[in-house]
Order: sequence, then C-alpha cells, then structure tokens
Amino acid sequence: METKKFTRLSLLLALSVVLNLIEVIIPIFNGVIPGLKLGLANIVILFVLMTYSFKDALYVSILRVFLVGILRTGLFSMPFLFSLGGAILSIIMMSISKKITKLSVVGISIVGSFFHSLGQILVACLIIGTKAMMYYLPLFLLFSIPTGIITGLITKELIKNLKTIDSNY
Amino acid sequence: MKDKKYLVGSILLVIILVVTLLSRYYTSTTYTKNMYYMDTYITIKVSTNKSKDKVDKVFDKIDNLYKDYHNLTNPYDENSTLYYINHNTSNEEELTIDSRLYDLLKLGMDYYKETNGLLNINMGNIISLWKSYRDKGEGIPSKEEIESNKEHNIEDIVLLDNNKIKKTHPHIDLGAIAKGYVTELASKTLKEEGITSFIINAGGNVVVGKNNKKKAYTVGIQSPIKPSDIYTKVNVNNKAVVTSGGYERFYEYEGVKYHHIIDPSTLYPASNMQSITVITSSSSLADIMSTYLFLLDTDKALEYVNNHDDLECIIYTNDGKTLKSKGIDKYE
Amino acid sequence: MNKNDFILIGVILLIIGGIFFITTRSNKKVNTASVYYDNNLVLKIDLTLDEKEYIVDGYNGPVTIKAGNGKIKVEDEDSPLHLCSKQGYIDKSYESIICLPNKIVITFDDIDNSIDTVVK
Repeated sequence: METKKFTRLSLLLALSVVLNLIEVIIPIFNGVIPGLKLGLANIVILFVLMTYSFKDALYVSILRVFLVGILRTGLFSMPFLFSLGGAILSIIMMSISKKITKLSVVGISIVGSFFHSLGQILVACLIIGTKAMMYYLPLFLLFSIPTGIITGLITKELIKNLKTIDSNY
Repeated sequence: MKDKKYLVGSILLVIILVVTLLSRYYTSTTYTKNMYYMDTYITIKVSTNKSKDKVDKVFDKIDNLYKDYHNLTNPYDENSTLYYINHNTSNEEELTIDSRLYDLLKLGMDYYKETNGLLNINMGNIISLWKSYRDKGEGIPSKEEIESNKEHNIEDIVLLDNNKIKKTHPHIDLGAIAKGYVTELASKTLKEEGITSFIINAGGNVVVGKNNKKKAYTVGIQSPIKPSDIYTKVNVNNKAVVTSGGYERFYEYEGVKYHHIIDPSTLYPASNMQSITVITSSSSLADIMSTYLFLLDTDKALEYVNNHDDLECIIYTNDGKTLKSKGIDKYE
Repeated sequence: MNKNDFILIGVILLIIGGIFFITTRSNKKVNTASVYYDNNLVLKIDLTLDEKEYIVDGYNGPVTIKAGNGKIKVEDEDSPLHLCSKQGYIDKSYESIICLPNKIVITFDDIDNSIDTVVK
C-alpha cells in the first residue's frame, strides 16, 4: 500500500472513531429512542468506499468497530456485536448498490444507513432472542432516511472538496 | 477484481454468522407436560435437542415423582402414609416410615429453629379447620373451634435414626414445604437427564433452568388483587421463584381476606402483606422462605432477606405498594 | 440526488410500512385457544371469529364455553364452587382457565415472548 493512501486511511479511521465518540457525547436523539444515532462515522466509510475500494472500506469499517469496542463499549459486548453486524451488512449493501444501481452518493448513503439499522436490530433480536426489538424496527428504519440523506450530502461535499484539494497538489 | 473476492468473502461471513445464530433456535424443540397433584396444576416446559421418546421417559419419571410424594404427604387421603402417621392411635410407639417422607419431615424440623417456630409442620389440625371454611367460601372458625384445635407442639414429633419416628398426637401438614421440595427434585431429575432449559410451574412454585434461547426466563408475578394482571416480572436462570399469599387459596368474608397461611402464634391467617415472592437457587428453600417471610411484618421480612446471600424478594403490601429487596435489581 | 434516489426512498418507505403493518397486527392479540380434557386436546377455537358458544364434555357433564373476538370464558359448568365460570373472560396470552372438578384446561396458543411463565 502506498504511503499516501496508508496515511490517509489511517487518518480517516481515526476520524471515524472520533466522530462516533462525539456522537455519543452529544445526545441529539437520546431522549427519543435509546440507541438512535446520526451515524456520522458512515461519512468516512462511504467516502473510503467511493474514493478507494470496497476492500479498504471494509477494513476501515471493521477496524472502527473494534476500536470503538476497545475505547467505549468493550470488545465482544452486546453493543459491539450489534455494531459489527450493522457495519458489515451496511458496507456490503452500499458496495452492491454502488456497482449495480445508478444511485447517487446520497442514495448509497441512505442504503448504508438503512442496512446499518437493520443489521443492528437483527443481531440484537438473534442475541437477545426477543422479538420485542422488532417493534422499534419501523421507527429506526424511518430515521435512517433523513440520517442517510444528511451523511450522504456531507460525503458528497467532502468528495468534491477533497478532489479540488488533491488536484491542487 | 480483488474487490469482488472480498465482497463475496464478507457476504459468506455474514451468512455463516446468521446461520450459526439461527441454528441455536431450531435444533431444540419445546415439549410440554401437564399434571395435577398436591392440589396444584403442574406444567413442565422443556426446550431440548433430545428425542421425544427420551423426553417422554423423563416426563414419566417426574410424573411418578409428584405422584409418589402426593400419596406420601396428602393429609386428607386415608391411604397416604402421612394420614397413617397422623391417625395411628398407638401413640408413643416407634414407627418406621418411608425414607422419602422421613427426609421431608427432617427438612421441616430443621427449619423450625431457623424460623423461630414460624414454620411448623405440626399444625395440620388448625390448617384443616381453616381449610374447611375456605372450601365453603364463607364464615370463620369460632373461638372455641380454634381453641380445641390449637395443639401444635413440635416436640410431639421426634425423629429417630434409621427412618424411625416417635410421636404423640401429631397433626402433620407438609403443605408449606412438600411442593417446593418435590419441585426441587423434579428440576434435579431434568438436569441429571441432560435437560437444562426448562420451566416447572407448580402454581405458586416456579423453577427455571438456563434459557437456551434468550438471556433469561422472564417470570411474571401475578397481582394478588387482579389475576389477569402481572404487577412485576423478574428475569432469572437456574432459580426458583415462589410466591406465598397471592391470588390463589384465599377467600373473602365480610370484607376481610383470609389466606391459607396460618400464623402459629395467632392461629389466624397471616395478614402482614398481600403476597411475597421469593427468589433463590433452591426451590425447597424458596418455598419455606416464602411461607416464613409471609408471616413476618414487611420490615422484618426485608431485613431478613437483605441479610442473606442468594435470597431476594418482592412484597406486595396491604396498601398495594411494591417493596423489593436490595439485590433484586440483578433480576430486573 | 437523482431520480433513482427518490425511487429508493419510496421503496424504503413501502418496506417500513409493510413491517409496521405486520408488527402492529400480530402485536399481543390472541388468535387461537386450546381446550384440554384430562390433558388431551379436545377443541381448538379460532378467536378471530365473532363470539360463539362451544360445548365440551367435562368430568361433571357438559361445559359451555363462550369464545370469540380475542377473548374466551367458561359460561356454564357443573362444579361445587363454579370458580372457572366466575373467573370471566380472559384475553392475555399468559392467562388460562383451569376447571379442576371438570378436568378442563383452556390456554391460548399464542406465545407472548415477553413473559415465559407466571407465578401465582
């Protein structure tokens, strides 16, 4: 891996972890439904997927889950497993939709956000073994649309601006 | 191209993950068995990967277990061993009795001291007096009736070695301990046969194993006021949950509720609380403790529970409040 | 955002609507009840229908059950205390009617995932 790419991916990984930690500190939705988040880290993952490759995005995504696990939730704890399920499903579906559909960055972001929620809840249902979580599912999925649009728009701007910066060097 | 390999790889990973998680659910089957012994409807539900034949055999074993103890301990059945002990006129004589009944009597005698005489297995006369009124559903015994049935001296029963018992005018009633004791034996039988995920529900006595589908078994606790309501619930594995008081076995007469648990010091049904639910590892201890604590006032009951390890309780007070012991949060 | 994105949002909303419909419909309502005599299943009742009367044989003679619209009760039976006909309607999945003198037990088949068993 060339040094420039390696450095940039490392920085992006660090950024995604920090975004996740910030998100927890600022409780935007905490009063409404516990566990509901904007998914700012998805900006980074989506950016890597769009500008590098699926492989790189997968690496960053899984490493992010592990780092957040070490720093905050605890490795192999329940939230860690939820997060891992959501992250892997999300990156697979984003990659597939990037390849086979004509969705824009925002559209792919919505797909990612949607499957991130779905993956988390499915893993939660399987581990806890109760269908009670299913009642939250529609609400979680509904929220994934606006959060997907927001993170998608940010990613779009990010890609555009970084291209300009890169081309200036 | 390389990307594709990774994509396929991670999809496979997810599929494997899902399949292994799902397989935990579909390899085990649920079997149910209903029985009626000891004045109680007993339901056993197990979740296991053992064959139906095997499970049926275990169910038969447990059915026999309850049947045997039912026949041993039923004080109202003329053919029961206990009836024989209670009504055999040749007092002062040594009797050799079934070792299973002997062990059960010993358990009751052992806890007489621990409970300061509140758990008394020799008060069958006063219990059956109140039972006769409860079965009618009205009236209460007169002072004279209570006076003539008040004998409950535990020293009338002496347990000797080698399953021998010496007795004078006993009125043994094992209602407070037998059901919990047998349910404990039933849960041990299941575990010995390799069935670890189970629920045994014998009315007020519930024992659960280790849930193999969820984190724990959720046991709802019925409101003593309204039977269709569950006023609280606990999440437990490998525990016994036993309620005393509660909605079953009481009657109301002239606006007063009379439970089936008689306080040996007053000879009247206890009325310190509506119900108490006890959670501990042993079903026989849970049964004994729930009866004992039901006879204490709420403060003393909570104090006792808080001073003992592996013992928690939830009390439904007379004024409809819910009191919980300190360590109960680990089951919530 | 292009046209495809809006189609995607539409599809997702439809999926959410579908899930919402399924989860709220299956939520809690009891749908079938089983009637046992002496531990043997003698009758299954569809509770989604309008209320009807069913008669099964109990130990002391016929037991009349009234069931439908998501609830069930024992209307009439022959027993000393008539406890189960006094119990009235039951409609929650963890409830049951047990008529010991008649050896009749009525339970719901619907499994409530939130409660495994009830201590009385």
